[in-house]
Formats: sequence, C-alpha cells, structure tokens
Amino acid sequence: MNPLVTAAVWLALGLLASAALRRRTARLVAVVPLVGAGLTLLVARSSTVAVPLGGLHAITGLDRAGQGVLVAAGLSMTLVILLQPSIDVSVGRTVGIVGAAATIAMASSDPLITALALTAAVATLVLRWIGQSPGRATLAAGRVTGTGTAALIAASPLLPLAGFTTGDRPIVVGALLATGVAALLAVYPLGGWAAGIMASLRPLDIAPWLILLVPVVLLIGERIPGGGLGDGSPVFEHVLLVVGLGSAVWGGIWAVRGPAAIRYGRAFMADIALCIAAVEGAPVSPALSGALIIVVTHLTVAPILLRSAGAGLLWPRRVAWALLSGVPPAPTFWGRLLLLEALAAGNVGSTIAAVIAMAAIFIAAVLACSTRARLRPASGWRRRLPDLAAWLLVAVGIAIGLAPHSVSAFVFGG
Amino acid sequence: MGASAALLSAAGVIGAVVAMMVDGRRAVAIAVVFLAAGLAPTAATFGGAPGVAVLGACAIAAVLLALAGSIAGRILPWLSGLDPTIPAFAPSDRLFGPRSSRAFGAAAAIPVASWVSFNVPIGQITTAVQGLLFPIAYAWTCGVIRLLVARTLEDLAVGVAMVSVPTGTAWLLRSGGDSFPGAVLACVAAPLAAFVAGWLNGRGGRRTHSRVEAEG
Repeated sequence: MNPLVTAAVWLALGLLASAALRRRTARLVAVVPLVGAGLTLLVARSSTVAVPLGGLHAITGLDRAGQGVLVAAGLSMTLVILLQPSIDVSVGRTVGIVGAAATIAMASSDPLITALALTAAVATLVLRWIGQSPGRATLAAGRVTGTGTAALIAASPLLPLAGFTTGDRPIVVGALLATGVAALLAVYPLGGWAAGIMASLRPLDIAPWLILLVPVVLLIGERIPGGGLGDGSPVFEHVLLVVGLGSAVWGGIWAVRGPAAIRYGRAFMADIALCIAAVEGAPVSPALSGALIIVVTHLTVAPILLRSAGAGLLWPRRVAWALLSGVPPAPTFWGRLLLLEALAAGNVGSTIAAVIAMAAIFIAAVLACSTRARLRPASGWRRRLPDLAAWLLVAVGIAIGLAPHSVSAFVFGG
Repeated sequence: MGASAALLSAAGVIGAVVAMMVDGRRAVAIAVVFLAAGLAPTAATFGGAPGVAVLGACAIAAVLLALAGSIAGRILPWLSGLDPTIPAFAPSDRLFGPRSSRAFGAAAAIPVASWVSFNVPIGQITTAVQGLLFPIAYAWTCGVIRLLVARTLEDLAVGVAMVSVPTGTAWLLRSGGDSFPGAVLACVAAPLAAFVAGWLNGRGGRRTHSRVEAEG
C-alpha cells in the first residue's frame, strides 16, 4: 500500500469522526489513530531511508524505522484518547490531519512536500489551540511553529546541494533546517510556546503534537546531517546540540520547580531536547538507539501521564513516573545511558549539561511519585477498565526496561 | 536585452510592502494578489509565460477560494466560532502599534534580503543564478516577520501566504525538470490560507450578525 493511501484514510476518518460522532459515542474517535496505525503496517516497505534533502520524487514507501514510529505513535494516540475522562469529538479532525501529515512527512524525501505536510499539521493544531484557548501562549505557538515551517519551506528551493557543498548556500540551508526542527520540537529558545500551551490547554489537545508529530520530526532531524548537507552539516548539528542541551537543562529544572499539572510535559520536552542534542552531537554512535528507547518509553507512558492527576490512576501514574526516573530497570536508564555515552565521546561540557538535565528529570520523577491524592476507589468493571489498561501499559514499560534493545529493534527494526 | 535587476527588485519590494501592511477581512487575498503581481516580472524573466501563469493562477485561486470560504462559512449551519480578525489577546497600550512594528520589520528585511541575494546561489551547478534573489528573499523575510509579530489568525494566514508565493517563485528560478511542479506545490499554500481565513471570516461574520439580530 502507498503511504498516500494511508494518509488519505487518516484524513477521511478524522473528518468523518468529527462530523458524525456525538457525545455518547465520542470514545470512537480512538478508531482514527487505531486504523491509521493498522494501515501503516501494510504500507510498502522502502529499502532506502527517506531524507528530505532530495528533489521532487514520488512517494513510494516507508522505511522500517519510520513505519515503527508511526505505528507506535498511532497506538499510543489511541490509548491516550481511550484513557481520557471526557472527549471532545472535534479532536478527531485534528488527529486525522496530523496523522496524515506525519505519514507523508515521514515517507517523503522531498523537502518541499515534507515542509508542506508539517505546515498543514501545525496549521491545524494552531487553529484548534487558538480556538480552544485564545491567548498569548496559543498565539505564540502559531508564531513560532509557523516560522519553523516557513524556514523548512524556504530551504526547499535550495536543495539538493549537489555541487554546492561549500560556501554560503549549505550554511543558509543548515541554519533554516535547524530553525525548523528546533521550532517544531519546541527546543529553546523556540520552546516557550509548548510550555505555555501545556498550562492553558487540556492534555488531549496537546497530544497530537506530542505523540504524532514530535517523534516524526525527531527522526527526520536525526537523518538530515547524513543527507549531504556539506558545510551546512556542522551548522545544523552544532546549533541543535547547543540549544538541545540548554533546553534539556532548562526543561529539567522547570519540571522540578514548575506546577505539578505540567510536570510531565516539561519532562517530555527535556527528554526530547536531550535526544535531539545527542543524535546531532554524536551522529555515529549509540545516540539513535538511546533516543528511540526514550521515544518508545514516552509513547508507552504518555496515555497514563496525559490524564489529569485528579482523574484517577494514582498507582499506575506513580509507576509510570518511576519508569521515567532513569533508575534501572526503567527503560529510560538504558536510553539516557546511551545518550550519555554518545555525548561523552564529544566533549566534557555536553556530558556535564546532560548529567544535570538527567538529574533534574530524576528529581521531577521522584516529586511526581511522592504526590499524594485522595481518590474514590473505582467500582464496576466499566470504571476499572482504565486502571486495567494503565497497568498493562506499565507492564509494557517494564518489559521495555528489561529488554530495551530487543523491543527497540522490534518496533524500529535493526 | 536582459531584465533590469533594479526593476525586478522594485516590483517585488512594492508587492511585499503592501502585503506586509494590509489588514482586514480580505487581507490574505489582497496580499497574495500584490505579491504575485510584484514577483511576476521575476517569474517572467526565469520561467517565461508558464512562470507568470503559475503566479497568476495562484492569485486568482486565492481570491476565489477566499470568497468561497467566506460563503461556505456563512451558509454551513453546524459550526460557529472564531473571528480571525480579533487579536488572540489584548496587549497593553504601547507607543508603537502592530503596523509600526511591521514597517520596522520591512525596513530590517532589506539588508537580510540583500545579503542572501549576493551570497546564495540558487539552482543546479550548471545553471546557478546569483544576485537576483532580492525580491524573493525580501518577500520571504517580510512574511516571516509578519508571522513573528502576528496578533490575529488573519495575520498568521497572511504570513503563510507571504512565505508560500516567494518560495514558488524561487522554485521557478532554480530551473530544471522539477521547477514548475515545485513552484505549483509551493504556491498551493497561499490559496489554502486564503480559504481558511475566508471560512473563519464567514463564520465570525455570521456570529456577529446573529448577535446583532438577538440584541435588536
């Protein structure tokens, strides 16, 4: 199956779900990402990795890692929707469009198509965010992510760089691509918008960005320096290394100091910033394996931690935070160890910054685990279903920690 | 006789400045029309008649889709909502308003575009063009500044259109087999932005109208 067909199904189901479903059947919105993930499994496998630095080509297939990211993200999004206490059916439209855009962006090796797909995703998210909560934070999201996708679009006519690997052109392209990736991943100094929307929007509104878009952009960002950027490669890598480490430290500190309601979002941003810094700072290293283990861990625990603390799941939340703490056998231990190993091969400064960020995330996880809440015990099998699903997710998280490389290879390929 | 670079630049700058300053419910369509007109001489120089046709079609599509979006937003009954011309938040009173900051941005974009034009070649190694990117780089930089100082959804839509049209023109400059498909693809975002802005305007207009009727 062609990835364009999968994207069309994501889109059609999303539009249909938001138009046809009503409050009683709102939970059926989960069918959109579930079917999207299922169809992604049927997409034709491409033997070459899609790096969006080439010319205008037809989209023919997905590589193994891209397929793994999209399937895992789709399943995670399904569980996020199912575990929410209440659902607004119009989120189906956002999920459908962002899922379709993520599929096209992951499959395309053309920078213009990738940039336009990401623009469509970002425009849909921003329209929803501003509609839900008009304010400084949501407008900032539109400004910054719009600028990021504009930078990616502007880089497209300058690519490919065949014959121009030295001089100003590759440096301009490297700077534009770094701006685009940093803005979409909410890496500081372009990351304030994400912290703002986490404080002002419901978790379900943020989930399409956090679960469907961020892993795809992270993987694309990891592939860019290997695609023949010439003199632009060091610019791209060094910019993202520096801002990524700075962002990880900042995100970690605010995960400790900030309000409990957005602690998971801050920890997620810190982890993603650490991943992008490591994969750009040490491209030929275990950094990618570490980043993929951290991504799959977040995709596993996000359905639990994106549910508000007052809505139950006290003990699964605590165990999920323990899985994020970085203490063995938590999967994040192995992921962060690999990131640290990769950064240590570079220079001592980046190692120290990464250790500070990891320590801050650990403290944030301990604080989150020790939060007390008085909850009414659930009665009846319907009310206990979320608990059951959450414990199953926790079990998957523990399994990832016990066999991180095997699980990572199973999801993303060898 | 070759095209005068100064003339091409002047046309592009006029189009971009108008797009930078325009406000109101039809801002996206007006911005696209002026940008397409301003960049058409550059497109004609490098893409010939088909190049001008791409920008012309983009401008016509933006006007028609903005109109269609507005009508659809008024007619379709099951949605209500967001007026794109109302600022997303109320900033404190300042000495300089939104237009002043855009005018300052338009002035600051001149050295940026000038540097890009003189230092960044575009196209393949055998057909690379250098020194003629000024109008495109200027319009693009203005578009990004408009995005960065946006206060309304309409501003964001104008910013997207201002990035889309110059990128399409840049694809025409790079020559090669994929330059026209690339230009068409890049320009598609502008009419779509016009449609979304028109749709939101239609819905916003309907809500205002019904509120006035209720108060009456």
